[in-house]
Amino acid sequence: MSWITALWSMNAAACLTFAGFYFVVWCRQRQNLVYLFFSCSATAAAAISAFELWMLNSKTVEQYEQLIRWIHVPTFVLTLSFLAFVRLYLHAGRVWLAWSICGLRALVLILNFIFAVSINFTAITNIRQFSWGGQLVSVPVGTRSPWGLLSSVSLLLLLIFSVDATITVWRRGDRRRALLIGGSMIFGAILAWHVPLVIWGILEVPFFLGFTYTAIVAVMGYELSTDVARAAGLARELEITQKRLNLAADSADLGMWMWDVPRDEIWITDKGRALFGFGATEKLDLNRFKNVLHPEDRQRVLDALENTLRTGADYEAEYRIMLPEGHLRWIAGRGQVEFDRDGQPVRLRGAAFDITNRKQAELEAARHRNEMAHLSRVTTLGELSGSLAHELNRPLGAILSNAQAAQRMLANGGVDVAEFREILNDIISENKHAAEVIRRLRLWLQKGEVEQHSLRINKVVRDVLKLIRTDLISQNVSIDTELARSLPTVTGDPVQLQQVLVNLVVNACDAMAECGTRERRLCIRTALENDGGEVIVSVIDQGGGIQEREVERVFEPFFTTKAKGMGLGLSVCRTIIAAHRGKLWAANNAERGATFHFTLPKDAPAKSRTDNGR
Amino acid sequence: MSSPLSPTVFVVDDYAAGRRSISRLLRAAGFAVTAFASAKEFLAQYDPETRGCLVLDLAMPEISGLDLQGILAGKGSLLPIIFLTAHGDIPKSVQAMKHGASDFLIKPVNDEDLLAAVRVAIEKDSALRRERAEISEIHTRLATLTPREREVLEYVVAGKLNKQIAGELGTVEQTVKIHRAHVMQKMKVQSVAELVRLTQRCGIGGSVQ
Repeated sequence: MSWITALWSMNAAACLTFAGFYFVVWCRQRQNLVYLFFSCSATAAAAISAFELWMLNSKTVEQYEQLIRWIHVPTFVLTLSFLAFVRLYLHAGRVWLAWSICGLRALVLILNFIFAVSINFTAITNIRQFSWGGQLVSVPVGTRSPWGLLSSVSLLLLLIFSVDATITVWRRGDRRRALLIGGSMIFGAILAWHVPLVIWGILEVPFFLGFTYTAIVAVMGYELSTDVARAAGLARELEITQKRLNLAADSADLGMWMWDVPRDEIWITDKGRALFGFGATEKLDLNRFKNVLHPEDRQRVLDALENTLRTGADYEAEYRIMLPEGHLRWIAGRGQVEFDRDGQPVRLRGAAFDITNRKQAELEAARHRNEMAHLSRVTTLGELSGSLAHELNRPLGAILSNAQAAQRMLANGGVDVAEFREILNDIISENKHAAEVIRRLRLWLQKGEVEQHSLRINKVVRDVLKLIRTDLISQNVSIDTELARSLPTVTGDPVQLQQVLVNLVVNACDAMAECGTRERRLCIRTALENDGGEVIVSVIDQGGGIQEREVERVFEPFFTTKAKGMGLGLSVCRTIIAAHRGKLWAANNAERGATFHFTLPKDAPAKSRTDNGR
Repeated sequence: MSSPLSPTVFVVDDYAAGRRSISRLLRAAGFAVTAFASAKEFLAQYDPETRGCLVLDLAMPEISGLDLQGILAGKGSLLPIIFLTAHGDIPKSVQAMKHGASDFLIKPVNDEDLLAAVRVAIEKDSALRRERAEISEIHTRLATLTPREREVLEYVVAGKLNKQIAGELGTVEQTVKIHRAHVMQKMKVQSVAELVRLTQRCGIGGSVQ
């Protein structure tokens, strides 16, 4: 075998090897098209080498004509895939230039097959054989076609493209790549000029276009191998990081998870599987997750997920799950969503952790608070017993007297039907009145679950005034109300809020009684506060005020200035308001007396109805 | 409805249903009733000459029951007051009774209790009025006495003998006897004991030893 055959074959083989290798790499990472283009260009380079070897050993004109025509196909593929590769791998080179070269090469390819014999020759007359490095090689002799210039122009543009791309990479600061890849590119693009020179008969060498690309293939091989090495290093680091993260997550009892949104697949760590009671190998999707959620929490969690996918806001939810053994577990979930370029959610990653203990403590605290509030209501009721007895005995008295009056009228014999009708009407309405008082009383004394719902604060104020009307009268206190119209609703337990107001009003009355104020006026005011974000309720008295150093102390448990007070009222009020996410505080008035304020956050717009002063 | 002759029960209660029911009951029991929704209304129409009693609610806005009791006392009214309340605390009932309330009843009140209290109060009112009439009669009789006769009266009710009185006044026993006879005649009494009872009732006597 001649050395030329050996060298050209080896080049083709080397190119094919790289092409095959990177094709496999591309198969594994389909999104990285750079590997595919590199593989294509290397295959094309191998094909060119094969064509050239054939041409060099060609003996007949006909065979040469066929070869010189078909070699343009791999050349076209090489140019295109090379351009794409440079654009993708270096992110350099002018796009318009690339498209111009593509267009030109496409035109060359078309003309090549339209005109005989090829784009370069209108006719090949002879094959000239000469000795080169001790080997006989064949080059064509014939009439050159003017269209061959197009091919040369595209070669020139390719050189410009390569130089331009190299400069861009160099300026970007990536000098190593500029030298290696850019250098080999320019070197190849210059070497490619031997083709027109041989055709024009200026140079007397065999065609070696296949080799011009070898340098690039070698450098790329080196580049990509360092990439592979780096990727392996990264993978190792990633593994270590992952292990570290898992260790941290496991020791913090975190279950890490990821939800592939389009495929609806959930991946979750073993810890997470244990947390949710999933099987170790069970396939997971949203539906499976949905099924473990407590029915009362399900919709809320799904809404939170939906909101995250739609708005990109962080996902945050606390919910109960049902474990296979029938236990309940409280879980806190946090997560972040990733979107693709079209703004579609791709995946949601996050962590879940067990908050059962914290929740139980919270519920326990809430239970304590509610018991305390209940106890305080019972105590307050003792103080209000006058009012209550009054509220109940008045209608009962009216009923009894009406009934006995009727009996006497019957006994007297003279029955006035109109009068009897009035008596019965009065009895019925008084009975209803008494029943209403009892209903209010039961509500006040009930010890059940606290019921949070949307309510109007002005109604709470009015209910309280009904409850303690008699006490106010018997203490000679007159009440002014300044209730703002169109207040937004707030969320809370009406009885507990009534309790706070009753406490504040009773305190205010006591304060005014203590300092012997002649004009006992009390004002209850409701308004919007904090740019409309909160509703504020103020109870303004005309008493002796609070000593400055005690303005905060009055809220401490067992702090009291009253002879018969337990000192729990205000501290319980503060815990109630805090549980309603509001604030309760006191301040002395400029003139006389003190004001107790409390705020409550208004409902979210969707939930809120406007309070039309009703 | 009310006349100075027949007793009237005044009902003052801000609670309309309560006011109506008590009025009905009292009317059915044969009493003349006049009802008011507030102390103010009552005071505007009240005639001290009207016989009867007052059924008064304790807890009312503005002028409370206790306030009204004070106002009436200040006017020298003798109208007996029955307090009627849905809730009476001890300090308030004590205060009411101390200031001369006739009775203190808690709603719901049984008809018999209320009517009994009303009857007692009206009786008390009549007695008071009778007594007041008697005293005023005594004062009228006293006013007819001459200064000398008045002096003699003082000594007589103090238990002095005619001789002692004559000594004190620097006159003779016979003159004292004549004065004394005039006194007995003008005061329309038969005995010294009767004279003493009359004068005690209007607080005369004891000014001389």
